[in-house]
Amino acid sequence: MLSPERLAQPDHEYLAQRHVLTYMEDAVYQLLENREDVSQYGISRFFTEYFNSVCQGTHILFREFSFIQATPHNRASFLRAFWRCFRTVGKNGDLLTMREYHCLLQLLCPDFPLELTQKAARIVLLDDAMDCLMSFSDFLFAFQIQFYYSEFLDSVAAIYQDLLSGKNPNTVIVPTSSSGQHRQRPALGEAGVPEGVEASQFYQCLENLCDRHKYSCPPLALVKEILSGVQRLTFYGFLGSLSKHPGVNQALGALPDKGDLMQDPAMDEELERLVVRSRLHRTPRQHRAQEPGALGTQRRDKLEALERAPEPSRWQPE
Amino acid sequence: MIPGKYRSVSGRSANNVNCGLHLVIQTSSLPEKHKVEFKLHRDTPSFPGRLLQHDLERNYSSRQGDGRVISPSPRSKSSCISSTTNLTELYGLEMKTATSSLSAFGDSSIQTPSKARIRQGCHSAGPNISGDHINLVSSSMPSFPILHRSSEEKILYSDRLTLERQKLTVCPIIDGEEHLRLLNFQHNFITRIQNISNLQRLIFLDLYDNQIEEISGLSTLRSLRVLLLGKNRIKKISNLENLINLDVLDLHGNQITKIENVSHLCDLRVLNLARNLLSHVDNLNGLDSLTELNLRHNQITFVRDVDNLPSLQRLFLSFNNISSFDSVSCLADSTSLSDITFDGNPIAQESWYKHTVLQNMTQLRQLDMKRVTEEERRMASVVAKKEEEKKRESQKQSLLKEKKRLTINNVARHWDLQQRVANSATNQDRKESASPPQDQDCCQTEGSTVSPLPEDTGAVDSGLSSTFQGLSVIDTHLVEVDGDTLSLYGSGALESLDRNWSVQTAGMITTVSFTFIEFDEIVQVLPKLKMKFPNSLHLKFRETNLVMLQQFNALAQLRRIDQLTVDPQGNPVVNFTLWKYYVLFRLSHFSMQKINGTEVTQNDMIMAERLFGILAHIASSELPQYRLISILGDVRKKQFRYLLETKGKKPGIVNEENNDSKRLVGENTNRATLNYTTREFYNEKLEDIKEKKKFCKMYMEDLMKEATEINMKNEALQKLWPQMFIELVRDAVIEIRNKNSYMKLCLQQITDQK
Repeated sequence: MLSPERLAQPDHEYLAQRHVLTYMEDAVYQLLENREDVSQYGISRFFTEYFNSVCQGTHILFREFSFIQATPHNRASFLRAFWRCFRTVGKNGDLLTMREYHCLLQLLCPDFPLELTQKAARIVLLDDAMDCLMSFSDFLFAFQIQFYYSEFLDSVAAIYQDLLSGKNPNTVIVPTSSSGQHRQRPALGEAGVPEGVEASQFYQCLENLCDRHKYSCPPLALVKEILSGVQRLTFYGFLGSLSKHPGVNQALGALPDKGDLMQDPAMDEELERLVVRSRLHRTPRQHRAQEPGALGTQRRDKLEALERAPEPSRWQPE
Repeated sequence: MIPGKYRSVSGRSANNVNCGLHLVIQTSSLPEKHKVEFKLHRDTPSFPGRLLQHDLERNYSSRQGDGRVISPSPRSKSSCISSTTNLTELYGLEMKTATSSLSAFGDSSIQTPSKARIRQGCHSAGPNISGDHINLVSSSMPSFPILHRSSEEKILYSDRLTLERQKLTVCPIIDGEEHLRLLNFQHNFITRIQNISNLQRLIFLDLYDNQIEEISGLSTLRSLRVLLLGKNRIKKISNLENLINLDVLDLHGNQITKIENVSHLCDLRVLNLARNLLSHVDNLNGLDSLTELNLRHNQITFVRDVDNLPSLQRLFLSFNNISSFDSVSCLADSTSLSDITFDGNPIAQESWYKHTVLQNMTQLRQLDMKRVTEEERRMASVVAKKEEEKKRESQKQSLLKEKKRLTINNVARHWDLQQRVANSATNQDRKESASPPQDQDCCQTEGSTVSPLPEDTGAVDSGLSSTFQGLSVIDTHLVEVDGDTLSLYGSGALESLDRNWSVQTAGMITTVSFTFIEFDEIVQVLPKLKMKFPNSLHLKFRETNLVMLQQFNALAQLRRIDQLTVDPQGNPVVNFTLWKYYVLFRLSHFSMQKINGTEVTQNDMIMAERLFGILAHIASSELPQYRLISILGDVRKKQFRYLLETKGKKPGIVNEENNDSKRLVGENTNRATLNYTTREFYNEKLEDIKEKKKFCKMYMEDLMKEATEINMKNEALQKLWPQMFIELVRDAVIEIRNKNSYMKLCLQQITDQK
């Protein structure tokens, strides 16, 4: 507990920065919400479960969007949950529209805003033809960047627009300004000017931004790597290469590498079991009377699963 | 045909010897009473071919039997009549008692005469006008022959002249015969009526079977009462202006296309227009005495004005083109009509023909030559009554239908309006590119629902349409039970589920269809639906705003669904590739048979499981326990609690049970966590969460403040403590340094205490 950082700042600031408070608050909220049930099996048990689930990243399932995006860990957990739940859809090879992906997201988070999905789709489709079909992996990686680095990308968009319009962005970084206003501007640019902005200048600005940015940013080294490869680039070009960069994905740590995206042996095994079972019980109508009985089993199942395999995505303070 | 004829005759002419008839023509309209008597004798065995050739064709008389009785006279040598056929006419007029009219068969007679008979007939007609007795001398005018009769002839047949089959191409000049009353030009080749204007006493003129193209030269024959122009080439009825005493007008077998110029013939009793080219019947005003009208074998499609004929008794419309009773409806208004024929018309083929006619024309005594019996009349009225009821019923039905249609239109309009408002709201929220197509859709549906309304109502009676309009404004929803289907239109219709449905109705309904209702509103009544209609197996959704997969979660709470139909119209979710599989997955416990009319296969089920099985698995197995309970809801909560308790008591047994149930229904429960809260509720919930979070935040802040304060104090204490400790020790050491004085002090304290 007595890390050097810890001594450098007041306690509450430290706690807030590490999102400890967020989780404490949420735990208390959950306790409040389920106080009757919790009283059945004890408060200590409840807290154990709560923080366990936070560690596993399962705490975000079916939660409200405000909570899901509250911490980087929650975001990573959500990304991972999305990948795990709908990997099979991608594996099946279906190409889906932005709206359909949005529906899938809403299955996990009922109030997930359409805007984020649209932005993610824009990264894949490079800002045009929003009704096009996208592959699962393309969408997932774009969505990862958009969702995880949401605030960062907003600031980048602002910087990009400022660069385009010839302003010095270092003086005016206003992450709060809506990106919608900025997008209007490039139309006014002279026709002769090549598309996009100078990569090096852009990098300078981003470096500056990362230094000061209080939200999560992609590793600066990787940004440099991306930007050093080209002379000029557009905003969506940048986002596109950012989303495709394996290093960024690794740094984020929520999803496996692109090559392994469809691999999840443990889940595949589980799925085979489910499929066999569904085949056996094509006519489950007769059993419905016993349905509630299965709950306890589920519970036990889950505990077993906990003991068996440690989850890959553990909660680590950043 | 022949027996019928005999029959009809026999009764009538019982006292005449072998069909000999006594005929009296009496016409009151003439200034001096004409009394023409004819004696008819008939040679029955030699029934004349001539009659078959053309007399039948003419069919002047409805009393066909009588007509035939008379007509053969040319063959009877003792006949005292010169032109028998003409007399049949007259006779026919007088006959009012004859019962069975066979005249309908008249004009279906044989067209090709046997030559021998013609000659024979020609000869036999001879008594008065055999070629020997009449001299046709060419007159001073080159083209017209002049006729002279011998004086005996003149005396014998002073008032009649027959020039039958004389191969005449023009009318001869008839001199010194001003007293002639009957003139017969049958079977000649006369093309023009001429040279008879001096015969001003002429009553009877027969020009049957000539080649006359125009009615003319008759203007002076004011006494004329019988004019026979059958089988000529007349195209137009004209030049009859002065023939005001005309009794019989026969124009059959001509080329007349229109009834005209007859309205002044107020004494006309028989008009024969059979075998002409009439396409319709009208212009019958003024024919106040007309009792018989023959219109067979024309191309008549409709009949008008017949109700303006006060004396009309017999009307023959056989072999025309009448296909509905409406086109002859004026007949129903005629009070005098007692005998009518429709055979050979399309209308006679209809099943309703007889009773419709009888019902509408109660005055009828004969229809298609058959006597109308009381029985038939009764039948007709019964059938008509039934028909009437049916009609009323169908009218009611169509009224209801119309009302339904209008209501649905109205509901649709409301729905579109609502959608548009919602759309514009979302558009304002986020000006995204996705909204324009929706807008377009909206406009299209709007246009299609609104535009048909005005023109359609225009078709309905104005009175009705106004009521409809009234209804359509009021009714914003529609509930319809049709067989096993319950259809709900508009959100207001959902309230009908609160109604007390009879057990029978409720049990019968297996299909429930929702149209123009927000899906979120439907979700709220699903429990009611489950209770009231336990047998509903097929759900249909149209224009219900199904946009998300998760909305299907709501259907899982129903008891049973065999079929699901989601119309793409107004349900964008159907455009998703995955929607069907998601439905199958989420509602797998229903073992659905059909989705949107397509049979669900085993492969579909497996595919659904493959796509979404993991989602369910993760959802159920990785949720923390407290979350699981709160998501599953109260009912399950209790059961769960119960399970927890029993688990504690008898772990072994329960485990076994659990294993069983896990094997059986685990797959169903694990997707119970996937449920749907309607947007409204969800927003409420979010508000609630916000409140609670706020409280929690404050609570935590307090806690934290306290904790950090305690921590700070603790830290401060930790900093001070070493020094304090040293000081304390030092003080203690100083105190006990002088052992004696310290001991003394201690003792002193002890004694003081005592």
